[in-house]
Amino acid sequence: MKLGTVIGRVTLSKSVDSLKGGRFLVVSPFSREQFERGLDAAASFGTDPSLVVYDNLGGGVRQVIGYEEGREAAQPFAQPTPVDAINAALVDEIFYSPFK
Amino acid sequence: MLLARVEGNVVATRKHPSYEGWRLVICQPIGTTGEAEGSPQIAIDAYGAGMHQQVIISSDGLASRKAVGDDKSPVRWMVTAVVDESEPGKRI
Repeated sequence: MKLGTVIGRVTLSKSVDSLKGGRFLVVSPFSREQFERGLDAAASFGTDPSLVVYDNLGGGVRQVIGYEEGREAAQPFAQPTPVDAINAALVDEIFYSPFK
Repeated sequence: MLLARVEGNVVATRKHPSYEGWRLVICQPIGTTGEAEGSPQIAIDAYGAGMHQQVIISSDGLASRKAVGDDKSPVRWMVTAVVDESEPGKRI
């Protein structure tokens, strides 16, 4: 699971049937520095490119979420779904202390 | 699998039910000399890996799903081993 800041949402007009009615968040992945700044710091962008994450937990903009990538992201769906990133957790707190 | 160092943990109440009861540990992938590589990964942990301890994390989703006991779970990364260290950063 990786952490990321929700920076927007996407609604689909034409899509594969299995994605109909889905909710999609645009997420900017956390970099190491953002872990140190923690949750209540101003929303900032990491170094990695943003991605679109399927969401059924109700993540909002400026919220920090944990998302899973890869084949496992499509695991919760009953029928095969072309999803490779899914929101798995809404983060409440981060306890982080880098090893110096 | 990746060699990583535990650098904290994450608390999330609203999450996929299969994560219930599992520690979400922040693991920073490191090189052999201990310098950080890439951004941290969050893995589920059953071995109680302590702060700054070196661990091995695996991205085998099948094993993680078996561990959480839910075949519909999106869990992927899991701590599979804790590295032998005399103290943080000094491998035996």
